[in-house]
Amino acid sequence: MKVSGYQMFWLISISSLIVFSFLPMHLAVEQARQDGWISILLGGMIMLAATWITLRVCMQNKDKTLVGFVKELLGTVLGKIIVVFYFLLWFTQMATIVRGMAEFQNLVMLHNTPMALILVCMLFLVAYAVYRGGIIAVSRCAEIIGPLFVLLLYVQLFLNPQDMDVKRVLPVYADSGWLAILTGTLHSFNYMVDPSIVLMLFFFAENKRTASRAILWGTAISMLWGVLATLVLVFVTGPHIAAELVVPVYSLTKFVSILNFVQNIDAFYIPFWLFGAFIKLSVCLFILSYGISEWTGFKNWRLIAWPAAVACLAFVLFSAHRIELSNTLKNAYLIGLVYPSLYIGLPLILWMLGSLRRRRKTANAA
Amino acid sequence: MIRFLLRMSVLMLLACAVSGCTDFIEPNQLAFVMGTAVDHADDGEVEVSHQIVIPTQKSGPFGGSGDSDSFVVMSAKGKNEFEAIHKVQKKMTRRLMPSHRQLIAISEQYFQKDDVSTLFDKLNRDPANNLRDITVLVKGDLAKNFLLLDHPMEHLSSIATGKEMEINGMNRFSTRQFIIDSLSEGTRPLVPVLQIEQVKVRSKETGPIAALSGFAALNKKLKIAGFLNDAEGAGAVWMSGKGTFHAITLPWKNGKDTLSFRLTHLRRRIDSADGHDPQRVVLTVMAQAYLLENTTSLDLSETHYMLEVQKYMNDKIREDLQLTMDKVQEWGSDVFGIGEYLHRSSPYWWKSQKDDWDHKFEDLDVTVRSNVQLRSVGASGTSFN
Repeated sequence: MKVSGYQMFWLISISSLIVFSFLPMHLAVEQARQDGWISILLGGMIMLAATWITLRVCMQNKDKTLVGFVKELLGTVLGKIIVVFYFLLWFTQMATIVRGMAEFQNLVMLHNTPMALILVCMLFLVAYAVYRGGIIAVSRCAEIIGPLFVLLLYVQLFLNPQDMDVKRVLPVYADSGWLAILTGTLHSFNYMVDPSIVLMLFFFAENKRTASRAILWGTAISMLWGVLATLVLVFVTGPHIAAELVVPVYSLTKFVSILNFVQNIDAFYIPFWLFGAFIKLSVCLFILSYGISEWTGFKNWRLIAWPAAVACLAFVLFSAHRIELSNTLKNAYLIGLVYPSLYIGLPLILWMLGSLRRRRKTANAA
Repeated sequence: MIRFLLRMSVLMLLACAVSGCTDFIEPNQLAFVMGTAVDHADDGEVEVSHQIVIPTQKSGPFGGSGDSDSFVVMSAKGKNEFEAIHKVQKKMTRRLMPSHRQLIAISEQYFQKDDVSTLFDKLNRDPANNLRDITVLVKGDLAKNFLLLDHPMEHLSSIATGKEMEINGMNRFSTRQFIIDSLSEGTRPLVPVLQIEQVKVRSKETGPIAALSGFAALNKKLKIAGFLNDAEGAGAVWMSGKGTFHAITLPWKNGKDTLSFRLTHLRRRIDSADGHDPQRVVLTVMAQAYLLENTTSLDLSETHYMLEVQKYMNDKIREDLQLTMDKVQEWGSDVFGIGEYLHRSSPYWWKSQKDDWDHKFEDLDVTVRSNVQLRSVGASGTSFN
């Protein structure tokens, strides 16, 4: 199963954009007001660096997936425990995206439909895609959906020219100060892009060099979109309203009114967002099933996709009824400890261990 | 066989979900809300009225005299806006759809007795609302009565007012702008005011029409600080940067004759008087003027007369606008956005001022300058009288 560099680019950019359009802007603007774009810029740089570190780790261990090389570098027992954390991470990411999607649909369009039905439809599709086609089918879909999705998201930013007032982003820095900006960065950078999927996906890339370049480009594009979207949000609604909007991208589409004729285009955007969500969910489910199959030694990873999807469904339905579980976005442990260590800390450690091992090997060979 | 059955059942399930048939509402089960009126009711309640269009009864743009059949107004009272709307929905045979709303009319009494900012929460939170409609103040009457009016040219009074504002170049008064102005510390909202007047449109018919009759300036607590009449209001709109075109008539120096201009490309610019002192602000208005009526005896194809007229026009405009500015400044309501300008140019000084900007604005020294260019004198030179 080989994924070309071009497909990798779309996979990564769609995954990052989906998460980006969902959470970080609200968290950053809440803290830093009109300087939210500086927070997003800083957070994006941090995540770009994290992606680069992850790519270094992957280049060192070209022929194994995460499960394989963690076991090799850290020993069997410790390696297995660390990988479990990554499984939980991907699982909760899937659950967050799916639940966000279902709740959003519930709020905006389908009020009476039971949430289980919406979830079953999406998860069935995702599980079937992974079961039948694996990563190849998903990457081919991403090749088609990708350009459309990214283009629409970028175009959406420029559909509001008559309402944009560039001066709303001023005064820069004076109102918030470095503390507010950094708090905004701290709250939002975890939710911007997802470098951990690269750890698994890199194994399937055909040409490692083009794939690594593609991954960096994909991350850069989504970061650029994030900064632009925050700027446009502040231009259109000003800092006070922007801090309160929970799903700013959706609210931006509601304001569009071209020539007083093209209005209410949010109905057009939601299906495209769902396409992107499908890609992201399939990627997460694929790496989850492949990882679990390597971890347990159960050879048929395709079959694992089904129980994983059912487990995700059960988890989402369970946590939807408990408000504490569904609102853990700002939990201090998560954002301060768990996410940074999984995204940045662990790859750093793995990289250092890998380089040490390599040096020892060349020293031994010499 | 089994596979076929499995596939069929999956397809049925998907078909049910894909068409969303649990939330299936046909267009003829929807009631399109074109205008909403918010009034104060007794016992601290709020009365919400919706003007709902009935598309099946419309008979064309100029059909009949008084198409009172093309809309209905339904209203209900409740403790807050959501409860009132919910009660309206209970009286309705169709699902209310506010996504195409043109206008929100709030009565003057509601402004005085209740807190308008409580409306913002509902407008912002419920995703069914768009913030593209216009917010107006209805003076001297219940806002519901405005919705009940017929209009001789349009089918619905809310559509009529929306079109009136757009045709007259006032399209920056959307609810979103209103909320942004209310929330930001350096600007106060300027709300268009409708008044219901008796107008004779045909020889046998004198009916009430709601006409735009000025603007209201609000203070920080969203209470009315003062009313501006039509002329002053137009000047205030120009000075706050929300206007698109304007028409003025100036009396000439001998007191009898008049000059009338049409002004387009209205712009305004705010600067500090000498670069750094935030206490003195200069507001410059700019426009391009077209002379369209002249009853003086000047021959306006002569250059020096054109220059004289241009200078005179600028002086008169400056005097009138300075009067309006002083009047608004006395009320302490900064509808021009001067506070926001100071916020951006001197942000650290602004921090000490922003909490009590209503009072501090009164002490600010604002000079108005006018830089209007005379672009053309029309199609004739001297006047024909």
